[in-house]
Amino acid sequence: MAACTLSIKVITQLILSSAIILGCLIVAKVLMHITQGSFPAPLLGMLLLLGLLLTGIIKERSVTPCASPLLNYMPLFFIPAGVGFIEHLNLISLHWQFILACLVLIPLTSLLLISHLIISFKGRSHHD
Amino acid sequence: MINLWWLCVPAIIAGFILLKRVNGLSQSTTYIALTNPVFLAIIITALILVIFKLPYVKFNHHTQLLSWLLEPAIVALAIPLYKQFVHIRKNALLILISSILGIVNATVVGILLSVMFEVPKELAHSVAALSVTTPITLLVTDSLGGIASLAAAMVIFIGLLGALFGFIVLKWVGIFNHQAQGVAVGTACHAIGTAAALNKHARIGAYSSVAMALSALLTALIVPWLYPYLSQLLL
Repeated sequence: MAACTLSIKVITQLILSSAIILGCLIVAKVLMHITQGSFPAPLLGMLLLLGLLLTGIIKERSVTPCASPLLNYMPLFFIPAGVGFIEHLNLISLHWQFILACLVLIPLTSLLLISHLIISFKGRSHHD
Repeated sequence: MINLWWLCVPAIIAGFILLKRVNGLSQSTTYIALTNPVFLAIIITALILVIFKLPYVKFNHHTQLLSWLLEPAIVALAIPLYKQFVHIRKNALLILISSILGIVNATVVGILLSVMFEVPKELAHSVAALSVTTPITLLVTDSLGGIASLAAAMVIFIGLLGALFGFIVLKWVGIFNHQAQGVAVGTACHAIGTAAALNKHARIGAYSSVAMALSALLTALIVPWLYPYLSQLLL
């Protein structure tokens, strides 16, 4: 009996947290549809949920039952999209020098700029 | 011929879990970076599709279940962001400025390289949002009219380069401050760089996680309107 009540509680929490996450996503999709904007709806949904969490309207523990498996397995969900680059192998082989330059120069310049900005405020030592 | 496409989703899930196990076998930063499960899963799947001449359109159609889950997963990203917000308060302004600097720098360097190499527009739009975690890159690049999958693959590769060489570069230029190392790696090299930072030192990892979370949020807010403006100015 106790186990039954417990599992009902777990299932209710799972359904409730899924409803919150899907609710944010749906509201965002409807908003973007109405305004005809180009901002990605899932990102707007993320901002909505962040706002709800920061204002305390929704507690973190009421979203975790659905959110933690989604977050733990998130890399799985972008594998199909990531593989899509094989559709553009011609473009990549034609412009490989450009892609290589981006891969090296973008992170390198960011690393150097940001780290120098911070040490100009904090000094070079280990501690801050 | 028997239809075997339904095998895609279970095969990807099984392969990914196996790769995750392999990734957990050693504590060495180089090993963790090189056996990154997402990187290996994408490369192996791409090789299988190319070698056996399987059409990507069909593969994409049969893996829609996985792709569909990406949208609610991105909404769920609000939770780690919310958790990091507690840590941000102390050094808020400096980390905020660093993140903005990183994002704007990535976009500007991307545009300048596009001009130098005279690449087609589609490719130029693909390198505008590379200073952010993969799922956000997919969405932002798509909204800018770039090739989202190419941007995602590039972001993962940048993360790997950052995990392998990021700290070596910072050491060369004489930067040992934990905050400087963490924020720089978190902003420039996202999730894979942050994993390497966490493996190096808990404090560097914490700064890296905060910077990565903030960059995810700021890229989503800044790049969609900054990019059209900057590309008009520079392209």
